[in-house]
Amino acid sequence: MNLAYTDEERAFREEVRAFVAERLPDDIRRKVRDGEEALVKDDYYRWHRELHAKGWVAPGWPRAYGGTGWTPVQRHIFAEESAYGWAPRLLPFGLQMVGPVIITFGNDAQRERHLPPIASGEEFWCQGYSEPGSGSDLASLQTRAERHGDAYVINGTKTWITAAQWADWMFVLARTDPTVPKHAGISFILCDMRTPGITVRPIVTIDGGAEINEVHFENVEVPVENRIGEEGDGWKCATFLLEFERTGTAGIPYCRQQAQAVRDLLREERIDDPFIAERLAEIEIRLEALAFTELRVLAAEAAGNRPGPESSILKITGTEIQQQLSELALDALGPYAEHKAMARYLNLRKTSIYAGSNEIQKNIIAKRILKL
Amino acid sequence: MDFALSPEQALIRDSVARFAAEANAGEDPWPTFAELGWLAIGAPEDLGGFGGPLETMLVAEQLGRGLVAAPFVSQVVFAGTILRAAGRTDLLEPLTLGERRFAVAYEEPGARYDPARVAATVRRDGAGYVLDGTKARVLDAATASTIVASARLGDDVALFAVPADAAGVSPAPYAAEDGHDVSTMRFEAVRLGADAAIGDATNGAAILECALDHAVAALCAEALGIMTVMLETTVAYTKQRVQFNVPIGSFQSLQHRMAEMFVECELARSAATRAAMILDGEPEPHERARAASAAKVQIARSGRFVGQNAIQLHGGIGMSEEARIGHYFKRLTVLERLLGDAAFHRERYASAAAGRPRVGTPS
Repeated sequence: MNLAYTDEERAFREEVRAFVAERLPDDIRRKVRDGEEALVKDDYYRWHRELHAKGWVAPGWPRAYGGTGWTPVQRHIFAEESAYGWAPRLLPFGLQMVGPVIITFGNDAQRERHLPPIASGEEFWCQGYSEPGSGSDLASLQTRAERHGDAYVINGTKTWITAAQWADWMFVLARTDPTVPKHAGISFILCDMRTPGITVRPIVTIDGGAEINEVHFENVEVPVENRIGEEGDGWKCATFLLEFERTGTAGIPYCRQQAQAVRDLLREERIDDPFIAERLAEIEIRLEALAFTELRVLAAEAAGNRPGPESSILKITGTEIQQQLSELALDALGPYAEHKAMARYLNLRKTSIYAGSNEIQKNIIAKRILKL
Repeated sequence: MDFALSPEQALIRDSVARFAAEANAGEDPWPTFAELGWLAIGAPEDLGGFGGPLETMLVAEQLGRGLVAAPFVSQVVFAGTILRAAGRTDLLEPLTLGERRFAVAYEEPGARYDPARVAATVRRDGAGYVLDGTKARVLDAATASTIVASARLGDDVALFAVPADAAGVSPAPYAAEDGHDVSTMRFEAVRLGADAAIGDATNGAAILECALDHAVAALCAEALGIMTVMLETTVAYTKQRVQFNVPIGSFQSLQHRMAEMFVECELARSAATRAAMILDGEPEPHERARAASAAKVQIARSGRFVGQNAIQLHGGIGMSEEARIGHYFKRLTVLERLLGDAAFHRERYASAAAGRPRVGTPS
């Protein structure tokens, strides 16, 4: 057992730090740090292009498809230094979600068609999972994909879709066979957002933001070749992706950013309250334990295990810490809680709901780890 | 970065686990500890010592799992680290051989765990010293022949080896709730020889802080072993306890509680392992204090949650002295406050953090 970084890893940290400092556009850095103004598509795109040009855009992918070939420790260092340099988190839907699914379950033609524009940022993606009647009980989804010759005809409604207004593509979970048990009748289908019959309607959130949407499908024709894996194998892809999603949603670098932001806030606003300082210390201590837990998961991954139900620990605790930090900022400002602290607090309530609510994560731990 | 145990480390873990499973309560484990070399963990190689904070963690965790009431942390880790740091091999050697037992007397009434708040005094007396003062909660003093006591020598905190049977030493032993032996000790005009000074007058406080960090890290590992067993026992119990014609473990409110206990156990495992690994790298004092204190805070929080809910989910059985789960709970509750509670260590973490480098983990 040894916690020390190697010389190469330390050099890599310096390289990432220098790169972020030099190449991240100032206006984007300011937006991420101040949190007052929402990032727009072009902000994500510009940072995506910088990372792509450097060959650093897809750390989780195998090298053959444009991945970095980094060790888990390097990926950890990269995420940390990106956060310390106030770089935005790239949208996960292409790079971290559908990308690994296409690599793992797709065919060669699908890999050739989709991976390069995901990596280059030329095509944005969104995730078609939740429905008005199917949230935590995702497998009960009702969106239908009916086979007509060489095409599926999709009808239904997907909701809470982040970045659908920017997306070129959506990966859709749809029911291809309503006669079999609910998990068995689902397929994973890639859908071009310009296909006729798709309507995107923005949903305004409690923080005033417009990052999520409802997407309606009316007789949307999608070629059968856009299905990933076999018909009826969609649930396998869906759960594979969710486990990757949960490791990402721990948002540990983001927690570190936010802890730093709270420290800055206390200094700038000259808030010298021992109770606030104590709460911050308590949260930071929990964050260190969480960050170390992620290192343990990464080490297991390096030993050849893909993320398993343990990633639920990261999702639960990481999202709780994000919420606690936003709550602390609100409490620290007290009667002067500005719009930005309030907006962030409101916005981050989503974290314990999305990507499988924290209650669902507890079901997963109870069933799959504790075997209850 | 490497989280795998070496074959030697796995061997120590397994042999301590075997010992803990077979240990008889009431039997002195010290001869076995000495024979198997566990008293020499962390000692220099020329004394037959081996290993360090990682091996200490593995031993303490298994002792916790088996609820073995052995003074491993107080003597081998706490006293042992003081003697090693001060270069007192003449005292460390008999400790590693199991020939001589030590207790550390550093807490004082009203000092709220703070090793720097010392009212006990020592004055020079010819070539020797005279010690006066009162020490609170001295762990495992009843079996110790030497008490390592902190006292103020002028403005400095210094450490002294006090024979337990010296004139003027009056211990008031009491049994703690977890069955461990604890004493309040009064020192009245205790005359000490010149060789009683451990280290010199200028480094007592630094040596004490260092030993405290090592002992805290070891206690965290012991607590981790305890809470892991409490979770396992609770999960097993709720699978076999039937009410309303179903195992109570099938109820979602109980499942979620146990999932939360699992998360706390994993965070506790991370905190304890992280502290041991950072200490193993022999960091600067402020890094060391930060790691040990962070672990103690996390362990205190996690331990309280896991302990209370383990009792709750056992129902009436959890209240019964006959059931082992309650014994684990008592030890865990005592451990939460040993060598500093969450409030003390949170404050210590925050002050040690003031001058920290930007990167979260040490490089």
